[in-house]
Amino acid sequence: MTEEVKIVERNRVPSGATLIFGFPDVGLVGVIAASHLIDELKLSEVAYVDSELLPPLIVLHEGLPHSSIRILGDDKLVLAISEAPIPADIVYPVMNALIEWARSKNVAMMISLGGIPMQDRQDATELKAFAAASTPEALKIAQDKNVETLTEGYMIGPQAIMLQRAANTGTPALALLAQCFPNYPDPEAAAEVLKGLGKITGLKVNVAKLLEKGEEIRLRARDVMKRTQDEMSKMKKGQELDIPMYVS
Amino acid sequence: MAIRRKRSFSDLIDEYFKDLEEWTQEFGEPLAERPSWNLKNRSIEPLRETSITPTEVLITLDLPFTDKNTVKVKPVGKSILEVSAKMNRVIKSGDLGVTHWRGEFQKYHSHMRIPVQVNMDKMKVNYKKGLLEIHLPRKH
Repeated sequence: MTEEVKIVERNRVPSGATLIFGFPDVGLVGVIAASHLIDELKLSEVAYVDSELLPPLIVLHEGLPHSSIRILGDDKLVLAISEAPIPADIVYPVMNALIEWARSKNVAMMISLGGIPMQDRQDATELKAFAAASTPEALKIAQDKNVETLTEGYMIGPQAIMLQRAANTGTPALALLAQCFPNYPDPEAAAEVLKGLGKITGLKVNVAKLLEKGEEIRLRARDVMKRTQDEMSKMKKGQELDIPMYVS
Repeated sequence: MAIRRKRSFSDLIDEYFKDLEEWTQEFGEPLAERPSWNLKNRSIEPLRETSITPTEVLITLDLPFTDKNTVKVKPVGKSILEVSAKMNRVIKSGDLGVTHWRGEFQKYHSHMRIPVQVNMDKMKVNYKKGLLEIHLPRKH
């Protein structure tokens, strides 16, 4: 764990669990999906991120302070969620600390849930989820479950760091990304990414409630989306739409 | 004696925004943050996105809980657009998880300056699943 970013454990964290990331990004897909998982699986807080690198911000729940980046879990699964955008200049130290902590807990696999910007998203009748992985073995897990591969392109943000760091250490990791609105909260894309997660992990998640609450989520997530847009712009997130240069 | 042309309301708004932008650039300070809602008007400012292509300006706005027939898009002069839409239910502060102030919202309201010259007369508007699209052909 890095000195600047500490993971403080509140409760017992299971060893060998799957670690899921849901951080603010395009369409807030990861956060919406992670938030739905917390509700559906009744996950409780097991740890949180403590760092003076983070903005001086706490999140109040029932009158009590919480770190904006928390880890919740049960016996088999742990989930890291951020309720506020992670400032672009501290994505590296925060992700490094979380990945190092995950390794100390012998995490079996890391899966980052997120979105991939889609042109003319409003006209799409069907959304697709794509996967990219840290190792060929991890990629095969997604391919065997008929999740399409994100073969070429650029990835920017927390999931990019997660894949790179996991690749360096040979840790199995997947970035699971559903087509989405880049700048509007997208609950339909969150439902799609959860279906992909279900295929890969066997986790059964009912997304009906998520889709029913779609309009409410879009309304409530406006302010977080707006602040996330500012951080995405600093990271030059638009580069994810660039056509990749061919280098063999 | 110099004759001063009588300025329309939209000219005044244009001038106001221009002065504001110049002031911000000159002093290099961001304007004070304001909330995305207005209790007095019972309105919420929607998320919006503007993109400029060689032929048009495309503005989209996310308007959950609205019906197509309540959406109004009104040009104010040559470069300002005002959008409003009534919500199909009243949203109370408690519905948004807020407990430290009370209020309710019934509409969206947004007004925006178009960054390039456009033909307001040829504006086209589409609405699909709560997403409003405004197409404005560019003037060349």
